Amino acid sequence: MDVALSKNGRRVLRVFFGSLVVFLYAPIAILLIFSFNDSQLPTFPLSGFTTRWYHQFLTNPDLRGALATSAFVAAISSVGAVFLGVLASIALVRRRFAGKAALSALLLSPLVIPYVVFGISLLLFFHALGIPRSVVTVVVGHVVISLPYTILVIVPRLGQIDVALEEAAADLGANRIATFRWIVLPLILPAVVSALLIAFTTSFDEYAVASFVVGTRATFPIYLYGALRFPSRLPEVIAVAVVVMIVSLIVVVGAEVGRRVAERRLGAVEA
Amino acid sequence: MTVHSPAAEAAPQPKRRRLRVDLTTPGLLGLPVTWLVVFFLCPLVFVGAYSIDALHGPSLFGETHKVTLAAWHDFFHSSVYLGLFWKSVKMSLVVSAIVVACAYPVAYYLALSGTKRKYVLLLVLIAPFLTSYLLRVLAWKVILGNRGVLNSFLFWTGARSRDHPITQLLYSRFAVILVLAYIWIPFVALPIFVSLESFDRRLLEAAGDLGSSRWQAFVRVTLPLSMPGVIAGFLFVFIPTVGEFVTPSLVGGTSGYMYGNQISDLFSTGFPDWQTGSVLALFLLGVVALLTAALTRFLQFRDVATG
Repeated sequence: MDVALSKNGRRVLRVFFGSLVVFLYAPIAILLIFSFNDSQLPTFPLSGFTTRWYHQFLTNPDLRGALATSAFVAAISSVGAVFLGVLASIALVRRRFAGKAALSALLLSPLVIPYVVFGISLLLFFHALGIPRSVVTVVVGHVVISLPYTILVIVPRLGQIDVALEEAAADLGANRIATFRWIVLPLILPAVVSALLIAFTTSFDEYAVASFVVGTRATFPIYLYGALRFPSRLPEVIAVAVVVMIVSLIVVVGAEVGRRVAERRLGAVEA
Repeated sequence: MTVHSPAAEAAPQPKRRRLRVDLTTPGLLGLPVTWLVVFFLCPLVFVGAYSIDALHGPSLFGETHKVTLAAWHDFFHSSVYLGLFWKSVKMSLVVSAIVVACAYPVAYYLALSGTKRKYVLLLVLIAPFLTSYLLRVLAWKVILGNRGVLNSFLFWTGARSRDHPITQLLYSRFAVILVLAYIWIPFVALPIFVSLESFDRRLLEAAGDLGSSRWQAFVRVTLPLSMPGVIAGFLFVFIPTVGEFVTPSLVGGTSGYMYGNQISDLFSTGFPDWQTGSVLALFLLGVVALLTAALTRFLQFRDVATG
């Protein structure tokens, strides 16, 4: 007898899994349908096929500006967070030092702070120091938020690499930088790439912290939030939502598959 | 000429040799730790300073101020703020319970039914979580409105008359709970799946051999062994939702207004009160920190701390 599941139990759970997947994807599918609907209001019955909402958002300068700002913020903050994350991960995996538990708790603590608290604390901090709010202050906040995610992705990968490889390089005369560049970096590259993508998407989508420290140049989520107040902009927002969601689905699923394949290949080399 | 002795080659090498004391460790940790101290811990100290009026906002430099605990005193004697906090805790608990109740059977199915494509199915489940948060809230706003997708569908099919839409769908506590549960279900399936996937399956066989029913085996073996995943999942939902302000401000209306909205409003341009806002924020942070400290050994990232 299968102790985990009876035949009926399996059937029931399969149906439950199926309905949950429908529940999770239905709202996205509804947005997709209404993004092509020829009406100002997203209501039934459908009133004909159009692509004008897509044309409209492609020619909306504010929207395109916001997308560009977010891409810029996400690019800078993800590179920054991954750079800091690689340094911290090497220290956590490869070095012994006093107070390691406390420092790793500090490095991971942004995971568990409510974003509204972090947002207002940055607001007060920059205000008290007389630093004006801008794209730069958003980048600073996003690096803090993304840093623990990059560490969580890179540390396990680093832990899999045999120290002997680095020691062999050192014995053959490579200095630390060369060892990192030619031995460690290629081996952790899949994890670094997926850390970059996670940090990028985190930043690109981040509203809560950004809403407190953003200056006059709106990021995409800030623009979106504002646009939700105007019903006339709704169809356009739906169209852009569909594009952003589908692109991020493709990127994220592609990255995960790519990382698995690359690590399997590297695993074969190491064995 | 060197001769390799086969015995020496065959000698097992310890996988991790003891590392020499390394002078570059401060070099590695310096930047990330400094970044967090300056841009994460310092700002929290500033919140503390504002909460006792040691710093004063929104106009800062100039006047000198007496440190006062008045805002803290008012907070702990205010039924409004504490009541709102309690309401948010209750809403957040409901969301966490719904999410865990939905995610557990799904994770159980993927981990224990022996289905071949469990990782593919897991990715299918998690993928929506990785798309935009704000846009998934937007989707529900479009669906739930009085003249939204759901109501207009009901009018169209004649299930409801046009004069009597279902009005409580949007701008209600219900909407906030539904949307938050929708957002967090995929994410919470992950830690539960990991804990169900990793426990020794022979324990279940042993329970079966010793005559326990499926239900007994579940209650006395599987469930206790998967509790770390359940608790991690619970924390992953509870912490962000108890301080949530974005979803309630979009779909909550007045009845879905949460503690996080109050904090956000105290710092917005209308009637800012940074001192009270700082007190509210620190109180929330304190509660979350205590909860995390109490349950932290169940969190999946404990390996990183000891690694």
